Amino acid sequence: MLALAPAAAVSLTLAACTPKGAASTTGPKKKAVIPAGDLADKSGTLTPSNPTTFTVYIESTHQIPAADNKLTKLLKDKLGVTLKYELVTPENSDQKIGVMLAGGDFPDLIGTGDLKLRFIEGGALERLDSMLKTGKYPNVEDYVKPYIHQMSYSGTVVDKGLYILPNYNRFYGDITGGTYNGAAFWIQKRVLEEAGYPDLSNMTIEKYFKLISDYKAKHPTTDGAPTVGFEAPAPTGSEWILTNPPAMLAGSPNNGGVIVDKKNHATIYADKDIAKTWYKALNEQYNEGIVDPETFTLTNDQFQAKLASGVVLGMQDQGWQFGTATASLQSAGKDQYTYVPLMPVYEGVTPYYADRAVMNVNQGFGVSSTSKQKKEALKFLDMMLSEPWQKVLSWGIEGEDYEVGSDGKFTRTEQQRAQSKDLTWQSKNKLMAFMDMVPKHNGTFSDGNAFSPDDQPTEFYATLSAYDKAFMQKYNKKTWMEFVNKPPQNPKYYPAWNIQLDDAATQANQQMTDAAVQHLPKIIAGKTSAFDKNWKAYTDVFKQIDVKSYEDAINKGIKYRLKNW
Amino acid sequence: MADTLAPEPVTLRPSRAEAPQTKSRSRSPQKKWTAERIVFTTLNTTFLIVLAGLMVYPLLNTLAISFNNGQDAVRGGIGIWPRVFSLQNYSVVFHMSTLYQAFFMSVLKTIVVVATNLFFTSMLAYALSRKEFIFRRSITLIFVLTLYFDAGLIPNYLLIKDLGMLNTFQAYWVPTIISAFNLILLRTYMKSIPDEIVESARIDGAGEFRTWWQIIMPLCKPTLAVIGLFVAVGSWNSWLDTLLYNSNEQWLSTLQYELQKLLSSSMATGINGGGQAGGAAAAAAGAQGTTPIALRSAITMVAAVPILFVYPFLQKHFVSGVMIGSVKG
Amino acid sequence: MTETTVSTYATAASGPETALPLATSSRASRRKDRKAQKNIAKEPKRKITWDRIWAQRALMAMAVPLLLYQILFKYVPAYGWVIAFQHYRPGLGSIWNQQWVGLDNFRNLFTGVNGKQFANVIVNTLGQSLLSLVVGTVGAIVLALLLNEVKNLPFKRVLQNITYMPHFLSWVIVASLASVALSLPSSGGFINQALLNLHVISHPILFLTQPNYFWQIVAGTNLWKELGWNTILYLAAITAIDPTLYEAAEVDGAGRYRKMFNITLPGIRPTIIVLLIINSGWILSTNFELPYFLGNGLVSQRAQTIDVFVLRYGYQLGNYSVAVVAGIFKTIVAIILVGSANLAAKRFNQETLV
Repeated sequence: MLALAPAAAVSLTLAACTPKGAASTTGPKKKAVIPAGDLADKSGTLTPSNPTTFTVYIESTHQIPAADNKLTKLLKDKLGVTLKYELVTPENSDQKIGVMLAGGDFPDLIGTGDLKLRFIEGGALERLDSMLKTGKYPNVEDYVKPYIHQMSYSGTVVDKGLYILPNYNRFYGDITGGTYNGAAFWIQKRVLEEAGYPDLSNMTIEKYFKLISDYKAKHPTTDGAPTVGFEAPAPTGSEWILTNPPAMLAGSPNNGGVIVDKKNHATIYADKDIAKTWYKALNEQYNEGIVDPETFTLTNDQFQAKLASGVVLGMQDQGWQFGTATASLQSAGKDQYTYVPLMPVYEGVTPYYADRAVMNVNQGFGVSSTSKQKKEALKFLDMMLSEPWQKVLSWGIEGEDYEVGSDGKFTRTEQQRAQSKDLTWQSKNKLMAFMDMVPKHNGTFSDGNAFSPDDQPTEFYATLSAYDKAFMQKYNKKTWMEFVNKPPQNPKYYPAWNIQLDDAATQANQQMTDAAVQHLPKIIAGKTSAFDKNWKAYTDVFKQIDVKSYEDAINKGIKYRLKNW
Repeated sequence: MADTLAPEPVTLRPSRAEAPQTKSRSRSPQKKWTAERIVFTTLNTTFLIVLAGLMVYPLLNTLAISFNNGQDAVRGGIGIWPRVFSLQNYSVVFHMSTLYQAFFMSVLKTIVVVATNLFFTSMLAYALSRKEFIFRRSITLIFVLTLYFDAGLIPNYLLIKDLGMLNTFQAYWVPTIISAFNLILLRTYMKSIPDEIVESARIDGAGEFRTWWQIIMPLCKPTLAVIGLFVAVGSWNSWLDTLLYNSNEQWLSTLQYELQKLLSSSMATGINGGGQAGGAAAAAAGAQGTTPIALRSAITMVAAVPILFVYPFLQKHFVSGVMIGSVKG
Repeated sequence: MTETTVSTYATAASGPETALPLATSSRASRRKDRKAQKNIAKEPKRKITWDRIWAQRALMAMAVPLLLYQILFKYVPAYGWVIAFQHYRPGLGSIWNQQWVGLDNFRNLFTGVNGKQFANVIVNTLGQSLLSLVVGTVGAIVLALLLNEVKNLPFKRVLQNITYMPHFLSWVIVASLASVALSLPSSGGFINQALLNLHVISHPILFLTQPNYFWQIVAGTNLWKELGWNTILYLAAITAIDPTLYEAAEVDGAGRYRKMFNITLPGIRPTIIVLLIINSGWILSTNFELPYFLGNGLVSQRAQTIDVFVLRYGYQLGNYSVAVVAGIFKTIVAIILVGSANLAAKRFNQETLV
């Protein structure tokens, strides 16, 4: 009977397919032969004589490496390790995590960026503390020791302890780097050039907008298109471009939706006077024609397009967010249209724009609870955390991907710099996706070299354009970092934005964002005479939202961190 | 009656239309170039050309951007011709090591899904179109209701898992052998086929299966072509099944899934609030002279072009049409 | 967020399982006979007996296994709906091992701040959806009729191929193009440019900042993307119309428009009606991409739809229960709407679903 075919197919499938668990090492253990060199595992756990295959789940936007990848081969030659990847993009991870947890089978290693801690709380990850106590994983121990409290899970759903090794910003040695990618009021270099390189200290919003309006008055068009004074967009997914400025102006570091006072008490600021002052100023600028009337309708594409066309004199944003536009301007040789970070603040306030990069707690690699080779998996991470492997992962192979000067400093030739940016080359010579999640030796190595080429000061300066070098000269600075405040030691609890929220607080947070996105554009684009009325309508919405549950959750988190970190 | 199957081609050249008729049947006055006809044809043609222009613009625009230098494309304002020509975007797409195998898997999957779906949907549609079939209404109702609810990701996943279909090719086609929507439409069509056709088949001794396969199916060709097109496009474009069921077997990966991953990495700057990863991806894309917007256009073209060729191929089945009347007559 | 989340009429074809439609062969000449047949078909219900089941064993063999298949793949997993009554956390044991919270999720969605928003998003969903459905259906039928008047086959084929192309672009790209088209002339907004050139307006309009234009913009963009695609179905239906009818009409001296209204339209009517009934159930399921990508703070009171709301307050916050509650709500409404539409069609002796 024809109709029976589907049923038959189903049963055939059932018979044909045995359930697949985590892949495990096959064959009996042979005597370990440890290869020479500092990349080998001296403990003999991971050796080419006893090959190991790890299944690896990674949330990353990078592609799977090419089959003939040089580092894949190196892993195999030195450690006998083969990685079987399952790459899922962060955008798709919500759905994938849901079904993985429901299914209950996990790969050996899980590299996740999930801020909702679903792998941990769903029981997918192994608690690593007791394994670390055996002393067999010295590099991991070294990595977690000073920050064990920050790195450990502190919730109540599963046992407290270490589950994930953070992938970014656990710093060793000095922190180097030249590009500033954080929050700032950005201004085009040509504006400062035209104003005769004015003093940038003690910046205020009045001075900032004066620079812009003066320039715009003199140059109403740019390359034939109307010059835009200021953008304040709220594109989907990056709404914070619109909502974050008041905190920066008030001298508060980026704590997300709250300002934390000296007594370490957090309150929201979106409906407070510091916000009102800023949006009132913006409302005035809008009616003066400084703010782009299209600003609120810009999608992220259109925002980048406007910046890349060079017409926009200034905006408040985080540097990485408009990276594509900057790259586009640089490649077109229009460095005078690229941006410098400024730090306007309210009267009597010290700017606190730049912070110390925050450790990505709860993001990174963990060993799965269903893995049949947990010890090997952790040993593998331990090996990856050793300096020799970190250099291989980050810089590459000496003589091929970088050179070592007589002073021991790593440098690259023009050709090496160029090839490192080539995606095809990367696919054959780097493990980009794996590198995204692996715990890193950010900062500097014991020999004084920076963790990666991008952080190496000499590399940074060598890649600057002539215009930028001359521009920096005028301000007597050598990096863009020097244009912002020197980041003080972060407060102990910092940052409040990654505190885990309960359901009520999460929902209140979303409702506040909605209220801001819906009302602020109306307030800004409204008549100046209607400002007070519009502002009241906005703050009235806040009165209906359960703000307290949000603030309470944040304060609870701060208290916990102050006590335990 | 055969002559009615071929509508006389009409062009704007009057000489052709006024050429002597060779067909026996005399043509009605409408076929001549009356004033009404000239006005209508001109207006209609103009309107359709303008409309086609509006419709083709987005694709030409995407095509132009895909062949444009990425850094330059970020500035926007590209029409239907690249401003700074570049093959970089395609180079990035075609250098994906996984692409070719995924393409093959997509083709295979689409063929299997279309074949099984058409087979089972039409068989059931036939049964439900028979007026004497006693469970016709209740079965139809059970299928119609499934158009309006969805169990959700996790229970569906657990079902596939319990059936042992995770990381197998079956996960692609077994869950999709019936589509309720197509079922209704095909059944509606079959119901309109005159009963005499089925009855005469009966008299010839054909059973239900033969009647369905040999008599009814050929009459449904235009509809089957349309349904086949829609199933093919749906299967070709789907990537969620790969993500959920088959993402840890590389050989089962599909073109759309691979492209979707590349796409979301190219979009990472806009979506990822974390910054670090997004910035890195943007830098990587920017490094090679491509940018999210340009790369996205190239990906769109690579994803869409193969399936765009299916339509012209199927089109003949319903441009010319199958005349039930003539079959019957 | 599932494979089968199908949006309005417009994207009915985009889900993997909801491939589209069908042509209904319709020979207007036989309409009367068919009506007569239908009335005969409405004879009193015949009893289901084992004898009759046995007599129809071939039909049973064709239908019943597929029925069981559908129950297994569609109805059995619906146990997942119980999470509407739970404080659901994935991974914490099975679905039966969760914290039960009664109607809390329903209360959360339908009352308080969320309730107010939800009432608003229902209105927006209905507005955008109905407008899109009407404009889309009328547009597709008109285009099918006009294409049918094109007698030059190669030209007709090219036109068809071109008009269905926008369907293959993602909503992100379409939204992006639409938003440029609607912007100021200096940003590439050709709609403003055209209106200025035609002296319809004296100053450019920022369409996307005007709440009152938003529904029309959504309907227009939907139309643009899906017009050709939706036409395919009607074109296929038209080809099934018996050409002798046209010939006969011509002999009777019927003009172009009389043939359109008296032969072509009635010929594709069953298709139109079946599609309208099916689509009536999808009225609360708009695609979320368009309002999501085109919406902004200034128009959000007209932009947010149920699916956007569910995305933001359900999936993005990891609150799956809210999403299921909204899904249940939509299903109930859908079944009521489809049932009524079907009943109405039956009243007027039209084609029905069931």
